[in-house]
Amino acid sequence: MFKYCIYSDHLNKNMDRVYSDHSAAGRGRIVTAGPRKQVDSVAGQPQFDVVIAGGGVLGAAVAARLSRTSARVALVEAETDLAEGASKGNAGVAVSYYGAPGTQQTQLINASNPGWETLTGRLDVPFRRLGGLMVALDADEEQRLRETLEEVHACGVRAELLTARQVRDTEPLVSGHAVAGLLLPDDGIIDPMRLTIAYARLAAANGVAIRLGERILGIEHDGDHSAVITSRSRLTTRFVVNAAGVEADRISALAGGETLRTWPRKGQYVVLDRAFGEKLTKIVFSTHTPQTKGSNVVPTTHGSVLLGPTALDIADSGDRATDPETVAWILDNARRLVPATADAYIMKTFAANRPAGDEPHRLRTDARQPRLLHVTDRSAGVSISPAAAELALTLLRAAGLDARDRDGALDALPPVPRLRTSPDPAALAAADSLYGQVVCACEHVTAAEINAALAGPVAATSADGVRKRTGAAYGRCQGSLCLAGISFLTAMSTGTGPASVRQTARGTVGS
Amino acid sequence: MTAPCLVVGAGPTGLGCAAELAAARPVELIDRIPVPGGEAGWSTPAITALADDTRRRGVRFRLGNTALRWEPGRLLIAGPGKIEWIPGERLFYAGGLRPATAADLHITGDRPAGVLPATVARHLLTAQNRLWRRLAVIGDGPWAGQVAAHARVGGSTIIAITPGCDPPDWADEAMTQATQITITGRDRVQAVRACTKLQWAETACDGVVLAASPRPNRNITGALADDSPGVTFIQPLAAASIIERSEIGRSAARSWIAANRGTG
Repeated sequence: MFKYCIYSDHLNKNMDRVYSDHSAAGRGRIVTAGPRKQVDSVAGQPQFDVVIAGGGVLGAAVAARLSRTSARVALVEAETDLAEGASKGNAGVAVSYYGAPGTQQTQLINASNPGWETLTGRLDVPFRRLGGLMVALDADEEQRLRETLEEVHACGVRAELLTARQVRDTEPLVSGHAVAGLLLPDDGIIDPMRLTIAYARLAAANGVAIRLGERILGIEHDGDHSAVITSRSRLTTRFVVNAAGVEADRISALAGGETLRTWPRKGQYVVLDRAFGEKLTKIVFSTHTPQTKGSNVVPTTHGSVLLGPTALDIADSGDRATDPETVAWILDNARRLVPATADAYIMKTFAANRPAGDEPHRLRTDARQPRLLHVTDRSAGVSISPAAAELALTLLRAAGLDARDRDGALDALPPVPRLRTSPDPAALAAADSLYGQVVCACEHVTAAEINAALAGPVAATSADGVRKRTGAAYGRCQGSLCLAGISFLTAMSTGTGPASVRQTARGTVGS
Repeated sequence: MTAPCLVVGAGPTGLGCAAELAAARPVELIDRIPVPGGEAGWSTPAITALADDTRRRGVRFRLGNTALRWEPGRLLIAGPGKIEWIPGERLFYAGGLRPATAADLHITGDRPAGVLPATVARHLLTAQNRLWRRLAVIGDGPWAGQVAAHARVGGSTIIAITPGCDPPDWADEAMTQATQITITGRDRVQAVRACTKLQWAETACDGVVLAASPRPNRNITGALADDSPGVTFIQPLAAASIIERSEIGRSAARSWIAANRGTG
């Protein structure tokens, strides 16, 4: 039943030199690509100029930017895949406005926002500039909306105050109780996992070593070099970039840097079916309060709708459990904003932790260790990532990194056509017969797309990894029809079997 | 020339529907699996007889094709090496059932590896894989007993999580009291917790299979909602034999023919 050709030759010829090495231990994985740069330690010379700790959206963005320079770079991630923390569990909004004017975070959002169409086009990442609509449901909220409008304008961002009538004309699904709205036309929706993985794929294609399944256990300094000791190896480097998200405090402590305070902020989400998502045309936000940005109603690039997130500061970053009370609260809150969500089919609920801390946005050189650069953001990592990567390079250069932009470095990835959104499906199958083999019937994901996810740099190594890269099993049946096929293809690609194949980045199907 | 009636789903219901429609219209029968039978399997005599009868009545079989998008008048199908729009007067959707998802069952907690839909678990287990030592089967839908039997052959102890039911005969242990089910496990699944207002109980396990209350499969864009234009849904939820299911398909076809006599 599942006679798929496993290695679809879909990736561009630029990636021919890519190789991946499945370790004997089966856990760690090193991916790099040509043109290979020097990776062996020469006497007195470190292997790398920069080691990036963390494979979330910010670590991967920095890796992609540095990969287009002469710097020798490694990215180290403890999980077996990219985007396993906050970059997986977020609402997928590329915001035009997030907070106060004049801050570095706002500058980075402003610098990133106009470029999304170009960047996502180059990196083959789904993005749509739908626009956001912040909704006031009573006079107090309307007053706060006016204050928010002033702040948005002070940030230099476009926004327009809407009357109740205009709110309903703009998005008819918004509650009839809405008294006013704030339209943010430059907000967009993006696939944050595809963005993170695309950054890492570009980095790998340009020669960055992407080291997955390696936990950083120590950082030692020796003169102007450092050694990053991981669960698998010892990497010598001149600079360390701390993009470890919720573990940024641990990395800073290991490096002898400042005492940072970070903790997980748990957010729970509810995902609604595309039959509802097809009707919603705007991102619908709660009115901000001084305490919280609120729980929202967000169309996704998959066609579904995300409700959430909630915000609860917790101590244990491994806690990603949902609970019935919070799920009920999310649904109630969504109904207040968009009553029709009450009738929509619920596909799944999930929770994720974002990196909260006493410094929610942190992009600066460490005060004690001049060769340690912190790059973390609690909630706006996706939205700042293009400009944050640029600023990280500027700061590293200022600290002494010799990183000249290289001619011939790749700045784009070959697109993998998607059957679900293809305007000309017949042509896809004519070009590659595997597009005729639909594996995920709900999301219309084909064997061609899955093989592309299982090949090339930063290939998927779990069924979840395939899902993150293709959308397979995201739909209303949640894998009832396709998970056996996806597990099979993943097992074939990773040299595992039905029981030992990874279902998620952390765990296998069988025990 | 009249566009054919299109039947999606070559299980007992779709076979019966297609056979009956063939008396009044040209019919094409589409299924993503390259053999007829659907959930009932392709090799049982009842299915073979049904499929032979349907073929004799002139139904064109398009097996190994997945239906993707429906617009009144045409259907997009994907098959080996080819994706094409085919004309259709009406779409009869007999796409069968799937087990309820974790969200359908309001299950909360972690989302670890080792939690699988019953259809997937059955597929893996029938290939003689030993997957779990203590398997929690949530629900007593049509797949539950089969999954339990296959897992037991592989040495698993079976715990039924079947709120409001008597302990099923396919289980070694059963938890029958629960208003809320929670799954725990950071990497792989470790336990299922069944809560009531008064108490909770937990059972350790290394696998969970979702096998509760079947839901209709719907996955064709343009044919998701009950009132989708140009579509008749035939997805009986109640457990029934192959013959009974094919009769439900025939009956739906007869009703439509009667209502559309003189057209086409």
